[in-house]
Amino acid sequence: MNLFAVIAAGEIDPARSIHWLWPAAAELIYGSLASILIFGLLYKFAGPAVRKAMADRTAKIQGELDASAEARSSAESEAADIRRAAGDIASERQRLLADADAQAEALLSDGRARLAAEIADLEARAEADQAAAASRVGDELRTEISRLAAEVSDRLLADTLDDSAQQALIESFIQKVGSSS
Amino acid sequence: MSEARIEGYARALFEIARAEGTLDEVEDELFRFARSYESSDALRNALTDEMVPIERRQGVVETLLGAQATATTVQLVSMVVGSGRGRDLPAIIDRLVARASQSKDLAVAEVRSAVALTDDQQARLRAALANATGHEVNLKVVIDPSVVGGLVATVGDTVIDGSVRTRVDQLKSRL
Repeated sequence: MNLFAVIAAGEIDPARSIHWLWPAAAELIYGSLASILIFGLLYKFAGPAVRKAMADRTAKIQGELDASAEARSSAESEAADIRRAAGDIASERQRLLADADAQAEALLSDGRARLAAEIADLEARAEADQAAAASRVGDELRTEISRLAAEVSDRLLADTLDDSAQQALIESFIQKVGSSS
Repeated sequence: MSEARIEGYARALFEIARAEGTLDEVEDELFRFARSYESSDALRNALTDEMVPIERRQGVVETLLGAQATATTVQLVSMVVGSGRGRDLPAIIDRLVARASQSKDLAVAEVRSAVALTDDQQARLRAALANATGHEVNLKVVIDPSVVGGLVATVGDTVIDGSVRTRVDQLKSRL
């Protein structure tokens, strides 16, 4: 049996408490009604504000969660960019190294070719100089021989062209001219 | 000197020599003098040096030719030198010789020889050159040691070279 039924049955005095921890029955009833009224009023008038505050807080927390997620996404994207950039840097480094190797190889190859050409040119020039020197010496030798031969011939002529030889030459000339009409 | 002036002097010398009746002799002496002039630097300088007075230059001519040439020859050369035309003496004399030869219908034949030719050789050479060129020639013999041996004959534009010098030069050239 409940309390209200006990009270209604008049078995309990509403002005008296049945237990030292339990209020009097009337007080319990009025207190309960007043509590219900207060809770009802609170629900009616303060409930929307509380719900709105809760909704705002929820929205705020959701916003913060969204911002956080966005920040995380951005950070992950940035990290991905950095990782990609790092990858690009590595490949660029590889490419630059390959280019440098190729250029160095080309320079070496070009240098070797130029060196070979210069050596060939120097050899050719040296051979030409040698040939020219040999030719010059030969020419000088021939000139000297000619000069000596001319000197010898002049001396021989001076010795051999005596008066009789002169007369013979003159007679020969006269005879030759006379016979050539 | 211009050609006209050279020709004028040559004509004047020719007329004077012909008027004197010594054309052949004068022409021959002038020719020899011209060759000596060409071959001697000292003579050429003495007769053309502007610093030497004309009288002294004429004195050189008289000293050189006085005993060896006719008076007409000496006077003609002296006249040319006195007029300051000593530099043109060879050209004037060559023109005079050509004119003299032309007047006798002869071609001038200049013959260079290392030794002198006898009269007989000159006569036979004259005949031989006439035979070779088809013209009677006025033979002018020049003693030229550079010929060495043999003869070189020049008749107009024709040169007949039988000199030892030329043969030696050819030999040198081949060597």
